[in-house]
Amino acid sequence: MSRPGPSPASTAPEQAMLQVKDLVKAYRADGATSWAVRHVDLRVDRGEFVAIMGPSGAGKSTLLHLLGGLDRPDSGQIWLDGRRVDDLPESRWAVLRRRSIGFVFQFSNLVSNMTAADNVELPALLAGTPPRQARERREELLTELGLEHKARSTPAALSGGEQQRVALARALINEPSLLLADEPTGSLDSRNTRDVLRLLSRCHERGQTILLVTHDARVASTADRVISLFDGEIADDSAVSLPANGGGTVADVVQLKG
Amino acid sequence: MRAVLRWEFADLRAHRGQAALMVLVTAVITVSLILANALLQNAGNPWQRTFGQSNGAHLWLHVRPGVDTAPLARLDGVAAVAGPYRTAPSTLVRSAEKVPLELRAVGPALPKVSRPLMRSGRWLDPSVSNGVVLESSFARSMWAAAGDSVTVRGLDGATHTMRVLGVADTADQGAYPNWTPGLGWVLPSTLGRIEPDPSHTAQTVGLRLRDPATTDFTAQQAVTALGSDQVTMVSTWQQVRSSMNLDNRLLGLLLAVFGLVALLAAALAVAGAAGSRVLAQVRDIAMLKAVGFTPAQLVRMFLYEHSALAVVGIVLGTAAASGIGPLLPSPLGEAMTFWQAQPDHLGALLATGVGAVLTIALATALPAWRAGRVPAVPTVRADRPVRRMSLLARLALLLRLPPALVLGARDAFYRPLRAGLTIARLAIPMLMITVALGSWATLDGFRDHPERVGLAATLTAKPSGIDAASASRLLSRQAGVAAAYPGVELQALVPGQTTTITVRGLGTVARPYPFALAEGRGIQDTDEAVAGQGALDQMHVKVGQWVRVMTGGTPRILHIVGRSIEPDHNGEMLSVGMEALEGPVGLPQPQYYALVLRPGASPSGVRAGLLAASHNQLDVQLTTNPADQLGAVRGVVIGLVVVLALIGLAELVTATGSGLRDHIRDLAVLRAMGLTPRQVTAVIVTSTSLLTTVAVLAGTAVGVLVSDRLINLQGHASGVGAGIAQMPPLGTLLLAGTIAVVVAACVSVVPAARATRARVTTALSQF
Amino acid sequence: MRLALLALLAKEPAHGYELKQALEQTFGAAYPQPNIGQIYVTLSRLEQNGLIQGQDVNQSRRPNKRVYEITEAGREALAGWVAEPTEGPRVRDEFFMKLVLAPATGVTDRLALINKQRRHYLNIMRGLSRLAAAEDRNNRVAQLLIEGAMLHLQADLDWLERCQEELD
Repeated sequence: MSRPGPSPASTAPEQAMLQVKDLVKAYRADGATSWAVRHVDLRVDRGEFVAIMGPSGAGKSTLLHLLGGLDRPDSGQIWLDGRRVDDLPESRWAVLRRRSIGFVFQFSNLVSNMTAADNVELPALLAGTPPRQARERREELLTELGLEHKARSTPAALSGGEQQRVALARALINEPSLLLADEPTGSLDSRNTRDVLRLLSRCHERGQTILLVTHDARVASTADRVISLFDGEIADDSAVSLPANGGGTVADVVQLKG
Repeated sequence: MRAVLRWEFADLRAHRGQAALMVLVTAVITVSLILANALLQNAGNPWQRTFGQSNGAHLWLHVRPGVDTAPLARLDGVAAVAGPYRTAPSTLVRSAEKVPLELRAVGPALPKVSRPLMRSGRWLDPSVSNGVVLESSFARSMWAAAGDSVTVRGLDGATHTMRVLGVADTADQGAYPNWTPGLGWVLPSTLGRIEPDPSHTAQTVGLRLRDPATTDFTAQQAVTALGSDQVTMVSTWQQVRSSMNLDNRLLGLLLAVFGLVALLAAALAVAGAAGSRVLAQVRDIAMLKAVGFTPAQLVRMFLYEHSALAVVGIVLGTAAASGIGPLLPSPLGEAMTFWQAQPDHLGALLATGVGAVLTIALATALPAWRAGRVPAVPTVRADRPVRRMSLLARLALLLRLPPALVLGARDAFYRPLRAGLTIARLAIPMLMITVALGSWATLDGFRDHPERVGLAATLTAKPSGIDAASASRLLSRQAGVAAAYPGVELQALVPGQTTTITVRGLGTVARPYPFALAEGRGIQDTDEAVAGQGALDQMHVKVGQWVRVMTGGTPRILHIVGRSIEPDHNGEMLSVGMEALEGPVGLPQPQYYALVLRPGASPSGVRAGLLAASHNQLDVQLTTNPADQLGAVRGVVIGLVVVLALIGLAELVTATGSGLRDHIRDLAVLRAMGLTPRQVTAVIVTSTSLLTTVAVLAGTAVGVLVSDRLINLQGHASGVGAGIAQMPPLGTLLLAGTIAVVVAACVSVVPAARATRARVTTALSQF
Repeated sequence: MRLALLALLAKEPAHGYELKQALEQTFGAAYPQPNIGQIYVTLSRLEQNGLIQGQDVNQSRRPNKRVYEITEAGREALAGWVAEPTEGPRVRDEFFMKLVLAPATGVTDRLALINKQRRHYLNIMRGLSRLAAAEDRNNRVAQLLIEGAMLHLQADLDWLERCQEELD
């Protein structure tokens, strides 16, 4: 995890990390069609940290699954690192996911019958990394996340926050180009949320491209950019910065009386 | 690859119990398949060995004395000729036993074709004028060994003391007493002394063919060449072999059929367990896909895992069979020992193992393919459509039935398709157990109701030294004898003249013998006959047709009016009234009397009484009951029931596991609602027990039907005749079913208790 | 601020500058503190109402300072204030009116309004996060204040989402 430093975001379209054109995905249930993703265009540059917000049912998770190849779009194109990926067969997607994409979900991120250490090493072994190297990287990551003493525990013995941190370690072990996270703090209390957020920020500082879905404003505000998804369409796409007047204090929200 | 292995080891470690059960089931199946294989192989082996070593003759013909047998050597396909040898019928007397013995005159040199294989003692010696070499099965049943003295009585009644010079194996005829008369070799001079009248002797010729498959054709040609009225008996190597190996072959076939079906049932169980594992791990599989496993990798993973378990089970089973097999009681132990001595037994072992692995791999293919198709999106489980409580359930609650019962019933049949599949899978072992019980009941039927399977006469009395009139007087006076039917057995050539069948005159038209009729009706006229299935097959006729047979040179035209069940002689028996066999000298003398005893009379008591009353001039024997020889089948049935019970247990464990998984959320909700843990456990146990009950009922019902069909089919095929099948007694079926349901309840209690003890919050939060 | 000063004086007498320091220590950088002038004005009002009593203290090398202490009436007023449930509007909102009436004005459409407001909220949230990180971890009061603000902000954002769903 030692990259030289955040690389400047490139503007040339061929060098975007992720490019999406006119993505459509619909679900048919009981005769009615509901649009999960409607003609979405998106571009994420290398090193960007993007958050996707929106009411539930707006299609945020579906979009993330489409970008990670876990689901197939009905139409549209996806380019990952300059390569067209939306028409890849499932097995090629799986190979792509091993090296280039890290996934963190809201629940049950870990394989239930393997220890935390095995869980973290799994993508590395899959990608063909020699076992010794995989083990070294795993130890490095777990130590950095403060979980070295829990390496031999099964997921059932870990708390929610610990599980998410292990999941994060697993997602990062192959130094993926893109980290996709679906409500990674959704089931955590505020302290664990803070810890996971801190980790994500640190990854971002080292140049990791992150795309995460959240309904938590605090998580979203950590990102560089927030995309609002509403009814399957992008309603807003803007950068996050500190308030102009040097504000952003409690007084902007709450006035203490008395 | 490493990732795959890592996951597989973790998975096996997490499901140790299930894996062990699968290995056990596979091992047991393998053992039974190997034993069946050994028995089947052994079935052909003793004959094969003997025939090969003795340079056996494929075809034996008995012809009248004086017939020129030279044309036989010139027949197409004949490689060598044994004989012709003069033969004479005689009786061997040994203590109180008098048994028929055919003496064959063979020169002092050992014959080249069909050479007797000396087991003990030595061959005929010209210096010993009264020497005889006995065939080994005959010698064994007579307790005669080399060096003993035996008394042989000729047709004229004169007795001769003979010395048993040796005991030899031969492939000329079947084992005594299945095949009578027994065989003994003597010097021509000895034969001349015992039977001085040439007209009482016969000739026997053996033909060794170049191609064994042409035996029937050659037989036909031989009879034609010599003239059908000159040939009294024809026997082929197939008849000899089947006679020698009757018991083992039946046993082996039974085992093989059941073993194969058990393998199928085990494959189903494995498939079920694998499928249920896939369902249980849907989350994990989705995660693996998200991490980067390709669907093909997932499919391979499942296949390897289950195939590996199967291989372990097969290796264990093979080791157990090879090590413990020879130590089992015979015939299994004997068969295993022989089989292991065969050069190609390793090949057969390998073939069995590979076959079993392939079957299990095939069974796992579908669940493995489904594992590959699990969607990568880790969805929260879709809610089942909520159904309001049915009218039945509401009624039950109104009647104040315990809530556990009502909820359990509702749970069990909530998803009809799933419930149906579970019931089907549980019903199959039950079905097979019922068939096994049916076999047992059939054997019991042989024992308890012999008259229903053609064995109405418990005793057979042979007059020796008294005439027919005094014999029948003695018999009718004997207490305990309900009826005595005179009988005579002759060999007859069938149309097509390729072989001979036995024509039995038994009873008279006025007092017909109570044959066990499966079809048609009994004999009511002098030209009517009932035939066994084997005879019908051999003559290629059906009930209602007319046949022409030759008995002792006299053609007879008979109308087959019924099919009887004939457990002897492979069912190749045509039965007529004594009048039908009337010849130029009148009615034939009865060779024996079939005695039907009064109910409650003791066979041994009646026998003793008759022997005393007739001063040993009546030779009284118990009729052989095939059930006695098939005693080993009972052991096989027990073994099979055990195997099937194991398979059923495996299926139960799978069904319980998947049932629990389906309802674990409901359980938590129930507990949160206020049901005590014990009540919740009761719900699960009720649900499993109900499913098992339905499965037991279905399996038993279908099993009774199938058992009937199968056993009758087997009877038809073996010539005994369809109609022997007995239904398993209701009490046994009820007991088996009850045990199954109780076991199901017990199996489900432990995991149910464990599931309900899990914290409510953790269970709910999982979803 | 009146009751906060009363409460501080109920603990011990103090002068204006000490009171300012006490307030700053309690809330830290999380909440902007009133300047000394506002404090003196509030103190004199309280004295006028008889809730506190001031006393000038002569200092040798410094200007005189006025030390205040709470009176009996002041303690009563304080007790009354603490005992009563706190009333009054929880939220003061100017945005909802804009949102509801904006289309009629023809100046801008609802979606643009909502997006702009959301961006504003997110920026504030970012500021609050930074504040929380900068503030001393052990100053529980300050951290709680910041967290309270964040929770209100989250509620506002959720309300915004609901408006977006329902009002178009």
